[in-house]
Amino acid sequence: MKLSTKNLLGIKDLTPEDIQLILSTASQFKDVLQRPVKKVPSLRDVTIVNLFYENSTRTRISFELAEKRLSADTVNFTVSGSSAAKGETLLDTVNNILSMKVDMVVMRHSASGAPHFLAKHIPAAIVNAGDGINEHPTQALLDAFSMTEKFGSLKGLKVAIIGDIMHSRVALSNIYLLTKMGADITVAGPPTLIPKYIAEALNVKVEYNVKKALQWCDVANVLRIQLERQNQPLFSSLREYNQAYGISRQLLESLGKDIVIMHPGPINRGVELDSDVADGPFSIILNQVENGVAVRMAVLYLLANREN
Amino acid sequence: MKILLRKVLIADNTSSFNGLQKDIFLVNGTIASIEDSLSTEADIIIEENGMVVSPGWIDPFAQLSDPGFEYRETIASGAAAAAAGGYTQVFAVPNTSPMVQSKTQVEYILSASRHLPTTVLPLGAVTKNIEGKDLAEMYDMHNSGAIAFSDGLQPVQTSGLLLKALQYVKAFDGVVIQLPIDKSIGTHGLINEGIVSTRLGLPGIPSIAEEIIIKRDIDLLRYTESKLHITGVSTAKGIELIQKAKQEGLQISSSVTPYHLYFCDENIQQYDTNLKVPTPLRTKEDRQALQNAVLNGVVDCIASHHIPHDIDSKICEFEYAKPGMLGLQTAFAVVHHVLPQLSPAQIAQLFSVSTRNIFNLPYTIKEGAAAELTLFNLQKETTLNKQNNKSKSVNSPFFNISLKGAVRGIFSKGQLTLNEWNGN
Repeated sequence: MKLSTKNLLGIKDLTPEDIQLILSTASQFKDVLQRPVKKVPSLRDVTIVNLFYENSTRTRISFELAEKRLSADTVNFTVSGSSAAKGETLLDTVNNILSMKVDMVVMRHSASGAPHFLAKHIPAAIVNAGDGINEHPTQALLDAFSMTEKFGSLKGLKVAIIGDIMHSRVALSNIYLLTKMGADITVAGPPTLIPKYIAEALNVKVEYNVKKALQWCDVANVLRIQLERQNQPLFSSLREYNQAYGISRQLLESLGKDIVIMHPGPINRGVELDSDVADGPFSIILNQVENGVAVRMAVLYLLANREN
Repeated sequence: MKILLRKVLIADNTSSFNGLQKDIFLVNGTIASIEDSLSTEADIIIEENGMVVSPGWIDPFAQLSDPGFEYRETIASGAAAAAAGGYTQVFAVPNTSPMVQSKTQVEYILSASRHLPTTVLPLGAVTKNIEGKDLAEMYDMHNSGAIAFSDGLQPVQTSGLLLKALQYVKAFDGVVIQLPIDKSIGTHGLINEGIVSTRLGLPGIPSIAEEIIIKRDIDLLRYTESKLHITGVSTAKGIELIQKAKQEGLQISSSVTPYHLYFCDENIQQYDTNLKVPTPLRTKEDRQALQNAVLNGVVDCIASHHIPHDIDSKICEFEYAKPGMLGLQTAFAVVHHVLPQLSPAQIAQLFSVSTRNIFNLPYTIKEGAAAELTLFNLQKETTLNKQNNKSKSVNSPFFNISLKGAVRGIFSKGQLTLNEWNGN
């Protein structure tokens, strides 16, 4: 089986079959990662460049590990210390790299639609590793993989996405994916951080009271407050945010039921999540990180057009 | 030079010949006679089935980028694009470098187009350096030939300052032109806030950013009893507010762009940077309201909002792309394509007669008048391409798109400029 698309620009462009294919392929790679030799030769003739125009720890390391475990050759690019810092355009940078015979581009960029722009102008396969406030497709795929591991299926699963919905590409990709796979979604957070048209645009429920959202859901995906992407004050203080929208152990215990806590990282401890929740028994945050490598291996493997 | 326009339909509801098919004889730049049939000898005879003649068209809002950004457009290239688009006069926004904020810059622009078929009339800045802080020397600019006043693409935000500006221009019966956008709402927005922006993950500019400033500007207009023109209206509510202000008897007028009539935010699915424009493309419903407002006369005129950009400002990430598209050469064909039911007289009204009324540039097609005319044909077609594009820039989504209706040429300053570029 093959994916219906040449690039992974966003979950928006994927079919449910594509998503299923990626998740089942990831499952096979997860088995590989449990072996003593965690490496397969699948992409040994493929060269991949990791273009990170924005800071990243988890995603960049995760992609790089995925590439190395598929035996691909990898090149890393970060904006500081590159010609982009001297004002070179994105297209020039990428064309220069491609002229050195690179097959795939993994890109993170602060502008929404940057990978779509690139896809119009270059022949290499592109994997979006996060674009502005638009999408972060591999994060949504690893979230889905982790939820499937925990619950067996996404169909009918009640997922609350909590926090800074407006500036979160994780939220949008998760919403697209979960909707396509038949889950129910509620987004919750301060009204200033929830896009006005989200309910009709994306067919989700909106809740301003976090406790109500938690009482409703099976799993809560708690988002990072994107202070770096907020251009104007959208809430008064981190202290007040934590009091009104943060998730504490006490709050979880008051629900009278067990729910699963997820977070795409990096966590603002004591803001959206208290430490005893992040590190507590409800959390599968580190499973998410572990699954990230397998999911990214699956995406790279399938986009390299290898028969499954 | 003697020119005979044979069997042309006259579209000019200020003229006694409106709606009549006539022969028009031009001698040395003057309309010598208008008759049912003339059999005089002429140097040039123009006869084409479906040819319409209108008072010369005027565009109230275009960026010609000269001085300062000549790599995008010069007065000469912009005026050539305007002539090909049927315009005999174009108002140039003051967002140049240096900005048009004193007599010197006004005189430069006037002199640069003096001998071109299309006259470029400068819009003077309302505020010094277009900073929205202190009034620019509007009286002096008016006396030097500035046609009206606007901060162009950076509309005046402070209420107190706009109030003073509206009062100030009353001394010489001036008009202030405002782009309707409150920059404190959706400050970092890139497209209309709505379903499309949410799905594309692009920051939005809410409709209310337009509505609130139109409301405020109308309040200031009522207080000052001055003259205001709002250009690039993009929302249904904005139109409604302007209509009410008109009914109230305020001296308010408005214009819309051809692209707001043609596109809506749903066309931006592929992050097409040519569709990033100063007042954003709104919803389908807004577009419908704008089209209706053009048909029923609530909107006074069409403004091209011609904004040239070099290629690198558009072949880039959507967020970094500069807003605006070319418009002069395709304005008429886009409007006719979208609204084929507009009569020749309505087209003349939207492209010339109303603009002339608002900005005090009267003209009537009659014997003895200096000829300033636009020739167009509803039955022909227009296709903009690399060969016939007169602008120095290429940021138009209309390249290689066949549009109904074609401008055939203009006659102004004693010169006939015919369009070869339509091809047929």
